[in-house]
Amino acid sequence: MTLLADLVAGFQTIANAWSLLAAFLGLAAGIVVGALPGLTATMAVAVLSPFTFFMSATIGIPFLLGVYKGAIYGGSIPAILINTPGTAAAAATALDGNVLARRGEARKALEASLYASVAADLLATLVLIGVAAPLAAVALRFSSPEFTLLFLLSLTMIAAVSGDSLLKGLISAALGAWLAGIGLDPMSGAMRFTFGSVNLMGGIGLVPLLIGLFAVSEILVRAGEGRHQTPPAASGGPRLTLREARGLIPAVLRSSGIGIFLGSLPGLGAEISCWISYGVARKRSRRPQDFGKGSLEGVAAAEAGNNAVCPAALIPMMVFGIPGDTITAVLIGAFMAQGLLPGPLLFQQHGPVLYGFFAILLITNVLLLGLGLVAIRHLGRIAALPPGVLYPAVAVFCVAGAFAVNSSMFDIGVMLAGGLAGFAMRRLDVPIPPLVISMLLAPSLENALRQSLLLSNNDLTIFFTRPIAAGLSVLLAMVLAGLIWRGRGRQSAAPAHHNN
Amino acid sequence: MRVSQTLLSIPLLALASLSAWAEFPEQPIRFVTPYPPGGSHSLHAGIITTVAEPYFGQPMISVIRAGGGGAVAAAQIAQQPADGYTILFGDPTINSLRPQIEELGYSVDDFVPVARINYSPAVFVAGANAPFNDLDAMVAYAGENPGELVYSSDNVNGFTFVAFKMLEQATGTTMRGVEFGGGGPAMTQLLGGNTMAYAGAPSVVGEHIEAGTVTPICVTDYDRWGALPGVPTCQELGVDIIWHFWRGALVHRDTPPEIVQTLSDGFEQLVQDEGFLRLIGRIDSRVDFLDAAAFAELLAREQTDLKAMYDSLGE
Repeated sequence: MTLLADLVAGFQTIANAWSLLAAFLGLAAGIVVGALPGLTATMAVAVLSPFTFFMSATIGIPFLLGVYKGAIYGGSIPAILINTPGTAAAAATALDGNVLARRGEARKALEASLYASVAADLLATLVLIGVAAPLAAVALRFSSPEFTLLFLLSLTMIAAVSGDSLLKGLISAALGAWLAGIGLDPMSGAMRFTFGSVNLMGGIGLVPLLIGLFAVSEILVRAGEGRHQTPPAASGGPRLTLREARGLIPAVLRSSGIGIFLGSLPGLGAEISCWISYGVARKRSRRPQDFGKGSLEGVAAAEAGNNAVCPAALIPMMVFGIPGDTITAVLIGAFMAQGLLPGPLLFQQHGPVLYGFFAILLITNVLLLGLGLVAIRHLGRIAALPPGVLYPAVAVFCVAGAFAVNSSMFDIGVMLAGGLAGFAMRRLDVPIPPLVISMLLAPSLENALRQSLLLSNNDLTIFFTRPIAAGLSVLLAMVLAGLIWRGRGRQSAAPAHHNN
Repeated sequence: MRVSQTLLSIPLLALASLSAWAEFPEQPIRFVTPYPPGGSHSLHAGIITTVAEPYFGQPMISVIRAGGGGAVAAAQIAQQPADGYTILFGDPTINSLRPQIEELGYSVDDFVPVARINYSPAVFVAGANAPFNDLDAMVAYAGENPGELVYSSDNVNGFTFVAFKMLEQATGTTMRGVEFGGGGPAMTQLLGGNTMAYAGAPSVVGEHIEAGTVTPICVTDYDRWGALPGVPTCQELGVDIIWHFWRGALVHRDTPPEIVQTLSDGFEQLVQDEGFLRLIGRIDSRVDFLDAAAFAELLAREQTDLKAMYDSLGE
């Protein structure tokens, strides 16, 4: 009951034109930033937060929360329309979204993505408001051994996104793990594969590489196709039907749960959540064969998975003052500059303002739905632009985006190399997603494994003696057994498949 | 004719370059944070660059250049022209310690100090379930159980790591650090009861001390920290550790002294700006300004001390 009263008070705190306008502008700016490849949500919040230092908290923070939310959603738009994820978190969305767009069903995909994003965000926000503290207490029980197993479980998703050949998927994953290993050893400080280069010391940047693998390779593929392309319907195609939308509900709910859980654990961001959600949705789907070939479920699962992370990542930040991911780390700075120290005392000391922010999170949800619907009506046409006009423009944004991440010319080189590699992989039918997943997970897995062994003095039983770790170990064994079982089944059924 | 022209042009050129110094800065200054957005460095950089323009006559642009635990930015700036337009927002790990003991592609002498903005001491804290709750008990535990006192560390040769190395050396004990990559995750692991101790900036541990979720042990400064008056200094308790994580501006070593002084003066005025002080107070930080000369002295002393400590550790 008091929660409701607090929330009502919260709505009153921010129910003024300036707060709402700030949230709206933030959301719109965030969508634009998110849609431009390379300009990440983290960058946007980091660049814009100094401007809020001298604003009142009820204007500055809603603006930044709007940017955060808008950017996470915005990444899906170019992912669907031109197979170029605007942010790393939207990489999984491109798989099915762009297939739909090419079939002339861009609008359908965009709407599925929007509804899934808004629904997942709403659910996660309610969880944040209702059970932030207990959930954070659970998250605290996750230490390095649990994370190690969680990362291993996540790696099994590679099987779900490897397409027809698991072998090619594993090759791609191995490549990703190797790329992730380049740079300074995170624990001992030793150099790995740097060949004395200062630039390689910091490792291969994920964002520039992703821009290369997805966007630049897409440009190369399109250039190779030449002029013989028929652009899809100019209107962006039919809208999502109610029946189709209803069919997405289970996938969205499941992905929201995954996103909330992963978001509340410090260190796991939207980039990983979208892949896990996508992989799980495929496994659970009644039509897994459609995934990768234009499944609305795939689009909805990936987008629900990454958007649910956004409010959930605020949980460890607000409860412990510890950021869940890089964006919340930047947000903590903005909170602090307003005199709101995130941490155990935040709720007691700044309750009303905090519930005001919760209210803003709910309001931005409604605003996002409205803005998104307006945007979709017009953006659907982008897919219908002549490729000769569209792709050169995309190329410019790619270069600018790759540079923006770290103001580094070397990153532009990484992007171009990634583009050539992505082009080669597509030509050879080697799937790109396993590379991305393993590049995301490998450094975290390595850290967690080495930390666990340091904690236990190199005793492997640490993965079985802790209750949550033991449960995860069993789950991992089951998943692996299932994969092997199904693999054997596929092998014996292979001749039959051959005729298809 | 020719000779006299040449002769004439020498003082003219000198004059021209002098006046170029006098006019410094003529273009925006890049203020480079060597860490990813979100840490205390980028937060301080955001505040500094927001209020900087009136004190330098040019905008100051905050540039994030993360990688290699700060080493990438430092190594790159060491190769930039020495014109004062690129400032490194440095700290003791990347400017005093690591270049002396690791191969990073730059050396401590590649930079000349401009101004120290402030510093944080480290506050040693114990977790709620740790088998000790003050320095004596902690040292006794570490002495009786060599290598069994597990602490949350940040990175090898990082701020927390060095604090514990100093403690080990001062007390003749050995403890086991687990590197979690940063202050946030390290703190999380302490709160979760997976490690026993941690040492971090007051801004990271302060609230948790207040909330009673961790027990303060001691602070690595000459005096008690203003916001934590109940926490004794390590020196008070008989363990002589002073360890400051300073935040300061440095430029390429060949930068003309006049430009270094201009920048130092600019920062000196900046740290007295009303808006700057308000924001710096809100993020639980403060100002401990040192100008170029005083900062250079401190840096030289610190570099020698850290080198000596590592040499004695044999690492």
